[in-house]
Amino acid sequence: MKKLIALLLAVVMVFALGSMTFAADDEIELDVIIAQYGPNTNEWFLGSGMDGTNFVDKFEAENPGIKLNLEVVSWNDLYTVVDTRITNNNAPDILNIDVFANYANDGLLMPVSDYCPEELYADFFPAFIEQSIIDDTVWAVPDLASARAMFYNVDILEEVGVEVPTTWAELEDVSQAIIDFYDGEIYPWGIDMTTDEGQAAFAYYTWGNGGGFVDVDGNWAVNSPENVEGINFALSLISNGYTNPNPATETRYDLQDMFAAGKMAMLIAPNQLPTYVADKGGEINMATAGIPANEGKTGSSVGVMDRIMAFKDDAAPDQAARNEAIGKFLTFFYAPENYVGWVSMEGFLPAVNSAVEALVASDPSFGAWLDVLATCQFYPAAKAEWDQVKQGVIKAEQSALTGADIQAELDALQAELGG
Amino acid sequence: MYTSFNRSKWTPYLWLLPSIALIAIFVIYPIILVFKLSFSEISKSGVVGKFNGFQNYIDAVNLPAFKTVMLNTLIWVIAVVGLSTVIGFIIAMVLNQKFHGRKIARSILVLPWATSLVIQASVWNYIIKYEYGNLNDILLNLGVIKQAVNWRSSFQIEFIWECGVGIFVTIPFVTFCVLAGLQSVDDSLYEAAIMDGAGFWSKLKNVTLPMVRPSLTVSTVLNIIYVFNSFPIIYTMTKGAPANKTDTMITFLYMLSFYDRKKGPATALSVIGFLILCICAGIYMFGVMRKEEK
Amino acid sequence: MEREIKKQNRLAAGLLLLGLVLALVVMSLPMYSFQAVVYTKKSSNTTVGDEKYQEALAQAQEVLEEYTSQGFQVELSEDVLERTNSKGETTSLVTFTISETQTKNLFSFLGQPFASAHVLRIMLACMILAALCMLAGLAKTSGTLPKYLPKRAKMLRSASGWFSLIALLTVPVFAMMNTYTFSRRIYLYSNDLMQEGKDVLYPQIDRFLFGGSAGDNIDSVLGKLSFDCSWMLWLLMILFFLMLLGAIQIRFGTVKSTLLRGLLYFFIIIVCIVTLYPYYVMLITALRSNAETLDMYFLHIFPSEWKFQNLIDIINRGVPRYLLNSLMVAGGATILAMLCGIPAAYAMARMNFAGKKLFLGFIIMSQMFSPVVLLIGLSQLMTTMHLNDSVLGLMLINAAFNQAFAIWLLRGTFVSISPEMEQAAMIDGCSTMGSMTRVLLPMAAPGIVTALIFVFINAWNEYTISTVLISTSSNRPITVGITQFSSFNMIEWEYLFAASLIATIPVVILFICIEKHLTSGLTSGGVKG
Repeated sequence: MKKLIALLLAVVMVFALGSMTFAADDEIELDVIIAQYGPNTNEWFLGSGMDGTNFVDKFEAENPGIKLNLEVVSWNDLYTVVDTRITNNNAPDILNIDVFANYANDGLLMPVSDYCPEELYADFFPAFIEQSIIDDTVWAVPDLASARAMFYNVDILEEVGVEVPTTWAELEDVSQAIIDFYDGEIYPWGIDMTTDEGQAAFAYYTWGNGGGFVDVDGNWAVNSPENVEGINFALSLISNGYTNPNPATETRYDLQDMFAAGKMAMLIAPNQLPTYVADKGGEINMATAGIPANEGKTGSSVGVMDRIMAFKDDAAPDQAARNEAIGKFLTFFYAPENYVGWVSMEGFLPAVNSAVEALVASDPSFGAWLDVLATCQFYPAAKAEWDQVKQGVIKAEQSALTGADIQAELDALQAELGG
Repeated sequence: MYTSFNRSKWTPYLWLLPSIALIAIFVIYPIILVFKLSFSEISKSGVVGKFNGFQNYIDAVNLPAFKTVMLNTLIWVIAVVGLSTVIGFIIAMVLNQKFHGRKIARSILVLPWATSLVIQASVWNYIIKYEYGNLNDILLNLGVIKQAVNWRSSFQIEFIWECGVGIFVTIPFVTFCVLAGLQSVDDSLYEAAIMDGAGFWSKLKNVTLPMVRPSLTVSTVLNIIYVFNSFPIIYTMTKGAPANKTDTMITFLYMLSFYDRKKGPATALSVIGFLILCICAGIYMFGVMRKEEK
Repeated sequence: MEREIKKQNRLAAGLLLLGLVLALVVMSLPMYSFQAVVYTKKSSNTTVGDEKYQEALAQAQEVLEEYTSQGFQVELSEDVLERTNSKGETTSLVTFTISETQTKNLFSFLGQPFASAHVLRIMLACMILAALCMLAGLAKTSGTLPKYLPKRAKMLRSASGWFSLIALLTVPVFAMMNTYTFSRRIYLYSNDLMQEGKDVLYPQIDRFLFGGSAGDNIDSVLGKLSFDCSWMLWLLMILFFLMLLGAIQIRFGTVKSTLLRGLLYFFIIIVCIVTLYPYYVMLITALRSNAETLDMYFLHIFPSEWKFQNLIDIINRGVPRYLLNSLMVAGGATILAMLCGIPAAYAMARMNFAGKKLFLGFIIMSQMFSPVVLLIGLSQLMTTMHLNDSVLGLMLINAAFNQAFAIWLLRGTFVSISPEMEQAAMIDGCSTMGSMTRVLLPMAAPGIVTALIFVFINAWNEYTISTVLISTSSNRPITVGITQFSSFNMIEWEYLFAASLIATIPVVILFICIEKHLTSGLTSGGVKG
């Protein structure tokens, strides 16, 4: 019995030692957290998805003296993992995520100019860089983007005999016509007000009505009359039965699945939708159009962008060497031979000029999307309260779905924001 | 009574030491940390600031969703613990009868216990999907229904589903606790009761219930703690949507901390939850000890 | 006495025959009403009276004449949906429908070749057989006590009961079959989702509803078939139940206990089906293709093609590694929890010391906090101990969180075992440790096994702490590992469930093996408390 226990203890100790890693002294170690964009992300960075090798191995081979501790974390857990590590003074060196303002305001981030090589910096789309500025300092660089537009099922619209809607009123007409024609068996329109991405719905209907998260001066204005009208319009679409039945729990992937199965006629979706539908084995004759806006207002496409940022580490022995290592990481990441494969693998749009040529060459439709991207509006992610606003508008929408008054909900949110 | 076992005054503590050390380091220390954090400012990204008194607690109680969430938690605990205890008890009574296939039935009924909550919640989440869920699949193809049914048409119904899954996974524990209690009941007691002309209900009331009461109490108390602290079911199925209407305290404070980034009120809430549980358990312990002294 | 029984038998036989006759009456009532929309023409952007309208109307009337000449009793109806759109224009959708309504009683199904008709014939046969068996059984032994019935009469009376039961069960099956045939299959055929069996079924329905006159129009005729079933169908179930009661009364004399017994089996079967259902879903979804997991037309109950490739795919995506991690975490946590818990439980059971109740309070308190709440604290602790992102850290945490339960269960077990044997061993010169390992532990084996399993299961199923503490892919336990299949971009249900299945099987096997000890362990252990 005693021997058995001793043996077991020994086994436990071996596991313990095995799970600790020791770094050589002269090596620079970089903790990197990458968001998981899809089933291929893990393979690309850690498996063998990069022409038989992977990002980490290739990087370490080309940059001796730098060791990457790279983790791929799913979006589900990303904020939890990062925040917990920050609370425990164990922030990663390099982080790939969508938000940055909180980290910058807490003084955790390094300015991009500290580590990003000038040549690479000049390569980014200036419109993207602008989205990451607080107090005239750039805190993060864009890693990739996607643009949203309206997709519609050409066959359905043709059979019903309606034109593609460009205004809200037309959208209502078309929806009603589709409902009438198919006896409600096909959802005319898709709305996603889930906790996952309800802020996107807010953007679609407020930007399309001349409103938005902020006013012209850049101050929060979530309860503007335009916003209330916009959201009420979205809610009226739902209550009239023009949309998918459970907007509070059906994520945009559920909507995309419905579209791929031919059960939904129109929806707002990112540029990856055709790839997504093809992956699901759907054969939908689809086309894109601008997102419908209210009469007399111009709709704007919605851009979503993620970022890469570097955290301070005051304990690092050689700050200059560390900055240089981070710079090398970025240079390697954005090098066309690596970056083009990464962006096109998940069907995203690039953030640097040098990748455009190769991408357009591989897929001509990229060109059109890049034009869309140029006119996109982005979330005001550089404002410190953005997280709060994002969750706040989602909650306001969801409360309104259960019968609350959207005006009162948005007023409360605006009051909470201090104005 | 067993003084011969005690070598010295310190021996018992030596025997307890490993256990105490383990609990102290990995449970009590983090608890103390949470207490400390609940009185500190915490930034949105999680940087801990200075002491700020009861501000976090005041903020937590003043959250608009606080009442809804407390009510949900109460319904969740009472519904899940109550119904699973009743159903589990009935199943245990049935399993205690002799019938063909009893062994197989027992093996089957223990299954939900052996499956991770995340997995159970994911499966049920898939089952009740409106557009492609398995429940509609089966019922349509068997001809029970003519058209697909939207099984989760409102948040009340979603919450009922969540409670249902909670009950589903809790039943086996109750069943087996009660079954263990039932097996300790001497048959002669029943025979005596039958001799006295006792019917089914009076047997249940006078023989069965008193004998299984200890195991029922234990399973109920443990279940209250487990169910109160249960996280994966609600997180997997609705994430509290719409607007915290299906949140219980644990999922609410998780969302509060990592989605809404109100980390201060979130830690305060966890301390409040802890105190509520402590009071419940305190009452229970007090009751049990008084009985033991009798 | 004998007269009494005769009277009872007569009563029961009367019940049975009454049920039979009433059932036949009910079956002849109109039960199903079919509405066949034989023609629809939707014309959008049409106003009443304009060219497009006239055209559509002319078409519709042509069709109407055609159907009338074939002997249909059809009506033409016109439905105009007028909407004023946002620009103030009136658009309208004109719908012409030609429809025929038919009512059918159950006997009209009898001669049909549908699956439901087969069920109906079984139902009829069973009710008649039930009555015949009963009469034969009574004739054989009129007047004798049930207990001393001759064997053959007993058999006949039993048979009568079984036949009534089968008749009872065929009613819902019949209803389901009809829904399947006249709603589900037609929906699939008319949407071109299924082909096989169409050439057989369509002519059959044609003959049934239209006397075979639909001919080539059958596709459009059945496209919009709808039917309603009268509630009176369920009356049949009550009548068959009456017959069953009669049969039971004659066979056993004690209706109550027989019904209770039947109810018991019914209950057990229902509970087992509900319990197994999620596992069935897990299994069949794990072996489907991705497109089929999201099939919005509900084509297949079972996968159209069993994709065992899914299992190989998830093995290539790191699942074995996750399983190994889980095994290490759960195994290590179990061993550790036992190593710490057994001495503590022993001290609690066998020794007297100050602060015993305090310790009890201490361990119960350690259960009060959900791990979710302690994430931040635990993560900080792990960082200070350099155990962040390690399997060992998870092991320790799981062991600690399961101490309370383990100690509580083990203490109960130890208390229930008399200390005399140990005392004897100690008098023979054993140390405390020796007496415990040689005498007490073997005797407490069932309780220890139970505690072991509990800790193992809890650690195996733990999710939240691992999510936050483990970030390196190769250190993830299986519960966290499977979340990669429900990531940001899409949920791969087939992989999620394939991995879930693999994660569940070991624990299930363990549980089934140990199930017998589980109750005995609990009995000797905590429940006495």
